[in-house]
Amino acid sequence: MAAVEAPGELLRVTIDDRQVEVAPGSLVWDACEKAGVYVPVYCAHKKLEPVAVCRMCLVEIEGMPKLQPACATRVSQGMQIRTATDQVRDFRRGNLEFLLLNHPLDCPVCDRGGECDLQDFTQRYGPGRTRSAITDKVHFDKAVRLSDRILLDQERCILCWRCVRYYEEVTGEREIVLQERGVHTLVDTFEHRELQSEFQGNLPEICPVGALTHAQYRFRARPWDLRRTASVCPKCSYGCNIFIDAREEQIARFASNDNPDVDDSWLCDRGRYSFPELNRTERVLNPEARLGGGRQPVAHSEALARAAGALLRVRGDHGAGAVGFLCSPQVTNEEGFLLQWLARQVVGSPHLDHRLEPLPELSPEQFRLGIAELEERDAVVVLGDAPERSAPVLTLRLFKTETKRRRRVLRVPLGTPAASLLEPLQGCRSVGVVAHQEQRSEAVALSRSLAGAGLSSSVLTLVEGMNARGCQDLGVSPAVLPGYQPAAEPGMHGRAILEAAAAGSIKALVLLSPDPEWERDPAFEAALSEVEALIVVTPWLGLASRQATVLFPGRTVAEKAGTVTSTEGRVQRVRTALQPRFPFPPDLRVLGELGGALGTPLGVQPLAGPVFSLIAEAVPPYRGTQGGLRADWGAPA
Amino acid sequence: MPEVKVLTRHFGAPGVTGLEGYRRVGGYRGLEKALRVGPEAVAAEVKASGLRGRGGAAFPTATKWSFLPQGVFPRYLCVNADESEPGCFKDRVLLEEMPHQLIEGAMIAAFALQVSHAFIYIRGEYRRQRELLERAVREAYSAHLCGPSVLGGEWGCELIVHGGAGAYICGEETALLDSLEGRRGQPRLKPPFPAVKGLYGQPTVVNNVETLSNLPYIVVEGGAAYAALGTEGSPGSRLFCVSGHVQSPGTFEVAMGKTTFRELIELAGGVRPGHHFKAMQPGGGSMQILGPQHLDLALDFKAVSDAGSSLGAGALVVMDETTCLVDVSMRLVDFYRHESCGKCVPCREGTYFESELMHRLEAGLATEAELGTLPDVCRAMDGRCFCPLGDTATWFVMSAYRMFPEEFHSHCGAGACPVRSALGAAA
Ligand SMILES: Cc1cc2nc3c(=O)[nH]c(=O)nc-3n(C[C@H](O)[C@H](O)[C@H](O)COP(=O)(O)O)c2cc1C
Ligand code: SF4
Ligand code: SF4
Ligand code: FES
Repeated sequence: MAAVEAPGELLRVTIDDRQVEVAPGSLVWDACEKAGVYVPVYCAHKKLEPVAVCRMCLVEIEGMPKLQPACATRVSQGMQIRTATDQVRDFRRGNLEFLLLNHPLDCPVCDRGGECDLQDFTQRYGPGRTRSAITDKVHFDKAVRLSDRILLDQERCILCWRCVRYYEEVTGEREIVLQERGVHTLVDTFEHRELQSEFQGNLPEICPVGALTHAQYRFRARPWDLRRTASVCPKCSYGCNIFIDAREEQIARFASNDNPDVDDSWLCDRGRYSFPELNRTERVLNPEARLGGGRQPVAHSEALARAAGALLRVRGDHGAGAVGFLCSPQVTNEEGFLLQWLARQVVGSPHLDHRLEPLPELSPEQFRLGIAELEERDAVVVLGDAPERSAPVLTLRLFKTETKRRRRVLRVPLGTPAASLLEPLQGCRSVGVVAHQEQRSEAVALSRSLAGAGLSSSVLTLVEGMNARGCQDLGVSPAVLPGYQPAAEPGMHGRAILEAAAAGSIKALVLLSPDPEWERDPAFEAALSEVEALIVVTPWLGLASRQATVLFPGRTVAEKAGTVTSTEGRVQRVRTALQPRFPFPPDLRVLGELGGALGTPLGVQPLAGPVFSLIAEAVPPYRGTQGGLRADWGAPA
Repeated sequence: MPEVKVLTRHFGAPGVTGLEGYRRVGGYRGLEKALRVGPEAVAAEVKASGLRGRGGAAFPTATKWSFLPQGVFPRYLCVNADESEPGCFKDRVLLEEMPHQLIEGAMIAAFALQVSHAFIYIRGEYRRQRELLERAVREAYSAHLCGPSVLGGEWGCELIVHGGAGAYICGEETALLDSLEGRRGQPRLKPPFPAVKGLYGQPTVVNNVETLSNLPYIVVEGGAAYAALGTEGSPGSRLFCVSGHVQSPGTFEVAMGKTTFRELIELAGGVRPGHHFKAMQPGGGSMQILGPQHLDLALDFKAVSDAGSSLGAGALVVMDETTCLVDVSMRLVDFYRHESCGKCVPCREGTYFESELMHRLEAGLATEAELGTLPDVCRAMDGRCFCPLGDTATWFVMSAYRMFPEEFHSHCGAGACPVRSALGAAA
């Protein structure tokens, strides 16, 4: 639990032989952590309120006759805390003996074996063996399906209440409850109903033992077999930080990687369980080119030469405006930036987009508000029909803002006049407006009116797609150049490009990581069957890969390095978690080399680092942000 | 004669369980007087009475009341009628014999604390007592002794009876509050204490049935008169529930501090004929054992605590020489195992460990090595649990083991209970 914020003098406390100063309101546990003294905990959790039920953290505090729970005791000036006394050690041993009395000891077949606090603390503090002659343990059900995603082993549960409190405090859904009492106590879903939450995947992570497990990860890997890579969840634009845990070049799971400013350590199930699509083995594995009648594998260099040749031919015959460029918002900033360079600088075409539908009136004003800042606003106005549907973890941030931070959260329908909000916002000085990108103009207008009424107001817009925000910032769209500079001669938006291709005025298309969803769109199909030259960089087999005149094997987001920008403008790194199963260059190099083959050398190595320098030069707010900072777009005009 | 009559003085008077009869013996004059003299004067009398809580912890009532933060409303009063302590049945007697005395006491406290809602949380198994109480509350409502305008005055207070579902832990005041709020009955993390954040997060006082039943007398006769019944350290009178191997078990009201255990046992007719005293447990199932050497101790908070036990909730279980203390310990431990709410590890698992061990010991199956783990198990529980239930689950058994070590050791490997075997052989 975060320390209660209380201004005032720092408190000096002694832990064993170390002295530390901590803020008033800090817990003994916080102070121990600061002093570098490890205290074992089960029920305590940094994101949850203390309950002090497991008693694992009991320590000696001078002047108090009984051992006190470090997780629930607030420090006071001059407090003397001792964590390594015989009394503490003796109790830890006894408490662990208790915990193991009715534990099934099935570690060899438990998914958490190797990353279980019960194993770890028993190793570290526990007794070697039980002294109880009890042969008959209290038994509970094993592998209870709480939903298609989560299993519960009631015997392994140590009743730390974290799962119950998670539902109470973090999601507000209360799907898990305690039943029975005494040694028969167990956790279960309310009335045995199936879990409905879209945030169930956090349960196995907060469970300190192997009681709650992922159905998807069951018997899949041992923690010591996993290679862990810090990255960003690819499923939406919110930018939750994750670890990609991989075994033998297959992703075994996504795990959360607490970023208090973004995800606050929670992931949504949509994101967490999305990785199987990245493990698909049906992939584009070779550069290929259409030669004569059919398509054949070719060397990478030949594919480049053929792609360049085709583009030059079209531009020569029909002009630069006959070439269109499309990518999905799954591309990195570096890739997106090079795609727009290729379009505008190298080929000279304005027809470029990262999505099919038009997105007029782009401006940084719709993106001023940060996710964590929501908690600091006196009130938050959520505009339209549940915009958090496209960034589910925002739901949890709004719940926290409303409950733990006690801010007003107003949900208002589209078309709500600002004037009608003044009364519910009475007494508020600052307000944040949250909207889906389709409603961004209305959100900006509402925010301006609220500002006009004397409130400090700004907008958080939720864009669609992992790096849609980066694509917008960096000008991967027809009407704005990098940094939202208006394009002198705006090009066609995505769908218009496809229609022009189907109609014959666009003769060549360059597709970078096209969205597999587009393949269901008749306009896409029509465009692809009409164009003369179709240059495709994609990991996936499908319509685009089949129709390509030149095809490059692309990488999935788990296989590449670079940065992506979340919807709040935070520039975060994605890292190579898996090696692709082919030896060909990454997408970024394909783009850089294609420019060279078309006669315009990039000038730097086509690697994420050097290309980011180009971005920082072109878009000053991006300078110095790649460590995970928000790009600063300056004060509103 | 150690018996005094405050709470029990009108027991058995005609119709005293009803409003009419209660009024005939002077009932509700205390409430009338309280309304006349005002909240501060009532609190002052309670302070002068030296009244200490009868729920078990013996906390001075006036001090508890003074912890309510100034000016924070609404405030609540909860009457603890969950009486579940083994050997304890005095609240039941008070509810059966004079429910209006409790209602009057509760309304006096509610007025002194300026409470607008008072709740009586009654033990789930007390069905008949609950019916009696509810009838009395209805009578009180129709006579405007509670409700929106008490005795026609400005102050009003609703009085609500709420039945528990049958859990010992719901007598613990914070578990009681959670249960009353409709949650799982489990103790809350303190601080905040109920006086600051109690029922529905508001300042709350929880008092025992007997504690509050004393208030009509204290208000009418004065705090000093009440205090003078007992001694300085143990003022007033008190109900004791005497049970076990005595001739006539029952509830007896005696002067505090002036009466000895021996006198109290005599009131209950003494140890049953043909048998002699072996040990006793004062205070209810939670408290430590006392032996023959303690019979002449006064029923005085300090004297009993110096002897290593406590008056607790006012029970006295007497055991004669036929009693196996391993057996009694086992039964008590089973009670705690059954009643543990399951919240904290040392109580939930510790009572299980203890109880399994005591069963093996009582059956003569445990080894000396197993018996050797008993003090370790109890040490990992006592003072380590979340609430006193788990701590006290070790007190009787450990004190009995210390006082009668041979009896425990003689069970090891005996194949059967040696005390019972000896009795069988004698018979
Ligand atoms: C496990 C446990 C059970 C308790 N049961 C009761 C009970 O049944 N009745 C009661 O009045 N107090 C009980 N108490 C004591 C209450 O917590 C509280 O101290 C008491 O109701 C306060 O009232 P008093 O100050 O009038 O004694 C219990 C305490 C514990 C720890
Ligand atoms: S299932 Fe896990 S998180 Fe929930 S109470 Fe049990 S051990 Fe704790
Ligand atoms: S000691 Fe722990 S488990 Fe036992 S009743 Fe109290 S809180 Fe519940
Ligand atoms: S971590 Fe402190 S009691 Fe559980």
